[in-house]
Amino acid sequence: MERRKFLKQISLWSAGALAGIPVLNLTGTLHAAQDDHPSIFVATGKAYEQMVQDLVERCGGMAVFVKPGDKVVVKPNIGWDRTVAQAANTHPDVVKTVVKLALDAGASRVKVFDRTCNDRRRCYASSGIKEAVQSLKRSKVRCEYIDDRKFIPVHIKNGKNIQKWEFYKDALEADTYINVPVAKHHGFSRLSLGLKNIMGVIGGMRGRLHFNLAQNLADLNQVIRPDLTIVDATRVLTRNGPQGGNLADVKTFDIIIAATDPVAADAFATTLFGLDPSRIDSTVAAYETGLGQMDLDKCRIQTV
Amino acid sequence: MNYRTSFRQLRKISQLVCLLFFLFLFRRTEYTGQDTVSWTVTFFFQLDPLAALSTMLGIFQWSTFFLPAAVIILITLVFGRIFCGWICPMGTLLDIFHRFVPNAGTRQINFRYLKYIILMTVLISSVCKVQWIGFVDPFCLLVRGMTFAVDPLMHTVVSNTFGTVYIHGPAWLSGIIEPLYDFIKTVFLPFSSAYYHLVYFSFLILVIVFLLEFFSQRFWCRNLCPLGAMLALVSRVSFFNRVPVFSCRYCEKCMTACRMEAFNAKAVMMKEECNLCMDCLSYCPDATTSFRFSVPGDRAEIDFSRRQFLASGLLGITLPALAYTDVSGKQNHPDVIRPPGALEENDFMAACIRCGACMKVCIKNGLQPLILEKGVEGMFTPRLVPRVGYCEYNCTLCSQVCPSGALEKLSHEEKHSFVIGKAYFDKNRCLPYAAATPCMVCEEHCPTGEKAILFKQISAVDRQGNTIELKQPYIMEERCIGCGICEHNCPVEGTAAIRVVANSSVEVDRY
Repeated sequence: MERRKFLKQISLWSAGALAGIPVLNLTGTLHAAQDDHPSIFVATGKAYEQMVQDLVERCGGMAVFVKPGDKVVVKPNIGWDRTVAQAANTHPDVVKTVVKLALDAGASRVKVFDRTCNDRRRCYASSGIKEAVQSLKRSKVRCEYIDDRKFIPVHIKNGKNIQKWEFYKDALEADTYINVPVAKHHGFSRLSLGLKNIMGVIGGMRGRLHFNLAQNLADLNQVIRPDLTIVDATRVLTRNGPQGGNLADVKTFDIIIAATDPVAADAFATTLFGLDPSRIDSTVAAYETGLGQMDLDKCRIQTV
Repeated sequence: MNYRTSFRQLRKISQLVCLLFFLFLFRRTEYTGQDTVSWTVTFFFQLDPLAALSTMLGIFQWSTFFLPAAVIILITLVFGRIFCGWICPMGTLLDIFHRFVPNAGTRQINFRYLKYIILMTVLISSVCKVQWIGFVDPFCLLVRGMTFAVDPLMHTVVSNTFGTVYIHGPAWLSGIIEPLYDFIKTVFLPFSSAYYHLVYFSFLILVIVFLLEFFSQRFWCRNLCPLGAMLALVSRVSFFNRVPVFSCRYCEKCMTACRMEAFNAKAVMMKEECNLCMDCLSYCPDATTSFRFSVPGDRAEIDFSRRQFLASGLLGITLPALAYTDVSGKQNHPDVIRPPGALEENDFMAACIRCGACMKVCIKNGLQPLILEKGVEGMFTPRLVPRVGYCEYNCTLCSQVCPSGALEKLSHEEKHSFVIGKAYFDKNRCLPYAAATPCMVCEEHCPTGEKAILFKQISAVDRQGNTIELKQPYIMEERCIGCGICEHNCPVEGTAAIRVVANSSVEVDRY
């Protein structure tokens, strides 16, 4: 119920009908909403589009997440002016397939966007994501640049570090939010996975978040809770992340992961790098905040 | 319509087409989704024989960038100053503006010799490796004024208007006007709003050129334009001549109506002042005037005395000498970070025509005009101001649009290793050093494949007195290319804790 009220507040606020900043209050609802034994689906192979389809099918099919008429946001990582092979952004085929499944499930509108680090036009072009989404030739999907007018301040009542930050309106208002991060090395936080992908839907000075990044990410992730997380580990940047540039640093894993639990998805992706989930501070902080399960022994890991 | 008026119509059509083409090219001078840009406003600078000559004199070598300018010279040799009357977008804009000038009949304010003085001064100075063309070339003034002032102004007005409705207006209204906004944005506006130094100054120069129309029509072209002066000199020997060369004593209509006021006190036409607007063909009540090909015969004397010639020579020597004595000749300013592909500094200063094309095309708005860091002569030359915008690693647009070769064209690989400056840490401001606070934004953004910013794990005492594990960044200087993305994104407020300085040391060599 809190989420519905919150969404209503946002639409009222952005329409100018509400003066106060929308407040996200998740007191008491966090732990109760979680499944303690979430499923993690893992697909391996070269046919990325088919793998994504199979994964979504195993998660219950797109119809579970997208009801006809829903507004959907598909949030890939398009942060850097790097090519597909350089592995700094989500693979365009993965993004494209998720968009296509959402459209086929009856979404009234699908938006694909990211607040990029390099020039937005170059990132959208070099990543191949804009072209891939446009190649679907469907009128209900938009691969848009961020519109700076659309950042809305949100109070995070349960936030330990961050009590207020700006979020992108389209992400807040989405009926269904599908997170499609790329798994890669990150110099500062070791790995950049699903929880870190939230950086692309927030406004403000993102550089400020690096102090106590893990808890910050946990706080921010309370506001936008992905209905589905699909982690792209098809080709993986193992050094010089998060933007890389050296093809020698890229390894081919040919793996895609899907889970409804964002923390579990990150935890499993961490193991692909030979690391224990407990070594990624943001995963631990998110788990402790009650955003999901990080103990893989308690997860049902199923290969597809 | 008889053929006499049709020439005039033809001229107007040509002017309009050239102006629209110019505006089209100006709009296309930005990132369009590909790594390479074609059909940019650079084309008009390549047509500019003055820019060609002064650049080549400045760097003292042939340049193929300006081959189109040779075509303009050839056309002028045949037809005269047809470029000024039929092609030049500045002239066309002045003609359009003149229609709105009230009481535009006041005449007899002529300083025709001034343009020759300006021309001589510019050319002699460029031999001395001091380039003034940026202050006087019509295209430089126009493109810079449009880039720095007109474009941002339009963008600000439009986006603020629609933005106000979007934020404060009712949602249904936004629903109606947002598509209109999208249309205006994609067709008429640059992709994003840009910010520049010297906005007012650039705009003011342009405004003055237009306000001079209140004195007389084409005041700029007649009296000041050095490009007009150069074409005027060439046109003295052209083959396309007006018959008769004088204005008929009993009528003199063509003399009083001439937009260039090309007739001297004896009612003889000064051929080099005529821009072939063809107005006199249609004014002539007897239909006796015509333009014909003939060997240039007797000519009216040029409005440029020997004394003025000597004065311009003196000015051409004195101004560079003064420029040499500026302090920038002794000590290069550390903030003058030239764009990638720039020639060695002195050659760059001589070759750069200050057209502003690189600053227009800069994808992150990082290239800014110099103010007085290199003296008056360095004004309007480009430098990177990382705090405003950094140099995008995979972008080579500035080197592609530079018309004069002051920036050499770079491939991706060359760009990736072209060093424009070096970054250094200010450890008194850098969070991990000064406050034992974790931060690694510079390292995250460093784009060189093998990062130029690395970090070491240390333990430090934070402000609460706790010993903590911390990552501190440091620079591998040989990998740094000075793109400035670290400085741009440094979260320390005000002056960044990591800064890029120009790596060029000045060589006082102007010989």
